[in-house]
Amino acid sequence: MNPAPGSCVLPVREEGGVPPDDFALMEEVRHDRDGAFEVFVARYQRRLYRLAWGYVRHHEDALDAVQEAMVKIYLARASYRPESHPFTWASRILANHCLDVLRRRRVRPAESLEAAQEASPGRELAAADPKDSPERRGSRAEFRRRVEQAVATLPESQREVFVLRHFEDMTLAEIATVRGCALGTVKSSLHRAAAAVRDRLLRAGVRGDAAMG
Amino acid sequence: MTTGDRELTCAEVRDRLPLRFYEPPAGERGDPIDRHLRHCRACAEEWEETRRALAAVRAEDAFPREGEVDWLAFTRDTAARARAAAGGRPVTRVVVPTVRRTRPWAAWGGLVAVAACLVVVMALRRADRPVPQQAGSAPAPGMAGMLRQNVAREAAARSLREGRALLVDLLQAPVRCRRGDGTLDIALEKERSRDLLRRLAVHRGALGGPQDGRIADLMGQMESLLLQVGTLEDCTGPHSLDDLRAAIRRRQILLRIDLVTRDAEGGTSRA
Repeated sequence: MNPAPGSCVLPVREEGGVPPDDFALMEEVRHDRDGAFEVFVARYQRRLYRLAWGYVRHHEDALDAVQEAMVKIYLARASYRPESHPFTWASRILANHCLDVLRRRRVRPAESLEAAQEASPGRELAAADPKDSPERRGSRAEFRRRVEQAVATLPESQREVFVLRHFEDMTLAEIATVRGCALGTVKSSLHRAAAAVRDRLLRAGVRGDAAMG
Repeated sequence: MTTGDRELTCAEVRDRLPLRFYEPPAGERGDPIDRHLRHCRACAEEWEETRRALAAVRAEDAFPREGEVDWLAFTRDTAARARAAAGGRPVTRVVVPTVRRTRPWAAWGGLVAVAACLVVVMALRRADRPVPQQAGSAPAPGMAGMLRQNVAREAAARSLREGRALLVDLLQAPVRCRRGDGTLDIALEKERSRDLLRRLAVHRGALGGPQDGRIADLMGQMESLLLQVGTLEDCTGPHSLDDLRAAIRRRQILLRIDLVTRDAEGGTSRA
């Protein structure tokens, strides 16, 4: 299976002749052309949500962080320099914001994960298929918890690369471009992240076929 | 993945399996890992486990609540909020269209506390500085609102002065990094700018009077400069500050902050 083909971000609708290229789009945003910022938000919001979730591990906080970061991006659009990819710039602003959020919380991320899960009891059941048997719903919920933990506990740089490659289906070269680092660095981060996720799932006795059901 | 003619060992093959999931060989008949997997049952089993485990990791499992969000509405709300922030209008927090878990007791408790604070502030203000009423005129519209705006204006002016001090510190008294390569350590200034950005956002949301346009405009420009500071490296080259310096000079922001904050303080003391 190619990494999660059905789970990628929906293609963003490009409207009103806004150029699809990221740098060109950013140029349009800098000049505040009509509709350009909306396309920018639509293009990056889900990627940024997933990155934010990796930091704050809480759904509402992640959405808030994306919105706050987008506001900052809009306010600072004139200071953007095309030396870095717009997504790199946006993700750095988001990361700074998320670190502020974590600092304010004054709790370690591992603890906040538990808190987040406690704050939304039953969400696994809500997401489960009602036709499933209780045993199957239980194992599905357990699998989700394992996957969430496996991804969330990756170190920051590895998690970012993993999320972009596995869920966004970006090529390694694209990731290297948007993160502004060497292809070799991306490969080694992805290798470590994938090995860690696999090991964590296998150690927990989670097998892909059981989860796919 | 070139290994020449040498066959790979089991350890070498296993080490490469996770990356192979994302970078499969491009149909090369001579792929050394393929060759190894055809003949080594243990490694083939490990490859199958790796493949199945990673293939099972789906976005809906890793981000289970992402599907609840109406992303089109989110786009629209985010853009509207950004424009409101840029235009100096009050920034209202957009309710994200998802099912939120609320704690009604906390909301009511907060409202009661805010109301109590307002009553105390109003009482103190009245005692300190009674506002003269003209005979025959209608009562001043929204005394509480006026007081709130005065408080917000003072807080905004204070934040602007702090922002001014931060920019002056950053440009005039930079500390060198320990690396000894001439770069400047601005980690502290970055931290201060982040803190200030948070407060500016709060104060901007509280402004709304007709005479607040200049302050709001200045706060917007200050936010833009602080965000620029936030995007710099902790150890940044001296030239990285040139853009910032030029922007400050171009906007004459230090002088304008002096004028506006003096006006705000004068206006408040007259009120």
